[in-house]
Amino acid sequence: MTFGFDPVGGFCRFYSVLLYAYPREFRDQFGGEMRQFFRDRCRDAARRSTLLQFALHTMTDWFRSAVRERASAIWSAGRPTAKRGFTAEWACTILVYLFVSTTIVQAYVIPTGSMEGNLLVGDHILVDRTAYADPGPLGAILPARDIERGDIIAFRFPEDPRQTYVKRVIGLPGDRIHLEDGQVIRNGRRLVEPYVQHLPTYPDPYRDGFPQHAGYGITPRGRAMLSRNIVEGEVVVPPGAIFALGDNRDNSLDSRYWGFVPRENVVGKPLVVYWSYNAATQDLLEWRIDHVLDVATHFFSKTRWDRMFLIPRSRAAEEK
Amino acid sequence: MERSPQELLPLTPPVFHILLSLAGEERHGYGIMQDVAQQTDGALQLGPGTLYGCLKRMLTAGLVEESEERPVTELDDERRRYYRMTAFGRRVVRAEAQRLAGAVTVAMAKLAGEKA
Repeated sequence: MTFGFDPVGGFCRFYSVLLYAYPREFRDQFGGEMRQFFRDRCRDAARRSTLLQFALHTMTDWFRSAVRERASAIWSAGRPTAKRGFTAEWACTILVYLFVSTTIVQAYVIPTGSMEGNLLVGDHILVDRTAYADPGPLGAILPARDIERGDIIAFRFPEDPRQTYVKRVIGLPGDRIHLEDGQVIRNGRRLVEPYVQHLPTYPDPYRDGFPQHAGYGITPRGRAMLSRNIVEGEVVVPPGAIFALGDNRDNSLDSRYWGFVPRENVVGKPLVVYWSYNAATQDLLEWRIDHVLDVATHFFSKTRWDRMFLIPRSRAAEEK
Repeated sequence: MERSPQELLPLTPPVFHILLSLAGEERHGYGIMQDVAQQTDGALQLGPGTLYGCLKRMLTAGLVEESEERPVTELDDERRRYYRMTAFGRRVVRAEAQRLAGAVTVAMAKLAGEKA
């Protein structure tokens, strides 16, 4: 796994925040040493390219030991200081947990096959929300970088912000894009996209020859793009927008059909598949009782174990 | 006033291996982790929370103590504290090793007829 930035500094600052989950007494006694330990361990993991295992291991270690230290701080109570701190200390743990789960990573499930080849229906992924975060107050302590062509992004679907979609970035502001025989031509150069999957399906002149032959399935938003952003038979990506396509190129509802992704809709970058369960699209969108039963009875057989902890990769397409 | 080592047995695997890593020399936290990983062929990877949680309880129980000395100078840092095993800690880890040896003997005898 390679990073375009040095993650060690960011991880260490992140860990300093995590330390607040421990009881204050414990933090005072060992906090400095734990940070030091973490930094050494992190450098070591970076050298051996095992940062991901290290991160997962540390999160488990952090959660279990924080709960344990909290519990033991309560058992060894009797002393007035510990009693006074009970509510405050637990509130602190819960706050840190909420902070992590809402701002740093978020869990999503892939409901459709539009990224098939890389992400399957039923892949449960963690999204790194800090990856493209605005350099606000958090920007100072967390590594952020710009969105690049070839990145896989998670974003709020412009037609329905309650849904989160995952697609690949094809065009950034200023890029000229069209398709010929299903191949993307960006700024006059043909893209060689090793991550794309083509299926033997019916021909579709619009899908494969975008933006010519506008046909069915284009939403009003998509039509607005076609009427406003076409220059000489190519779509030109306007400022603050992203042109995104699914890797399952012949069976994907993407920017061709509903227009650009506004930059502010981008949530983050898929980090890791933490669970992959073979289920139908409909079951994944809402948890119904029969789906719960299905998971309960088929957890082991329907879980795709080989996909666990898979990292969806951003890859730049070769230009020809 | 010192308790009998037997009261603390059995030790949890992290505590047992941490004590073993301190049997030969004083170490700081990261050194303990590395030695424990080596002892167990990488099977036991102590995270910072687990390690310092154990050390805290071991300090309280009097199995280890903080050392004022700084054996490794080149990596030294004010925040690194070194730990060493106490005499009581040594008795406890011996007792645990004996207990485990006994358990292994029993296991060998019971499983002797089976193929591995």
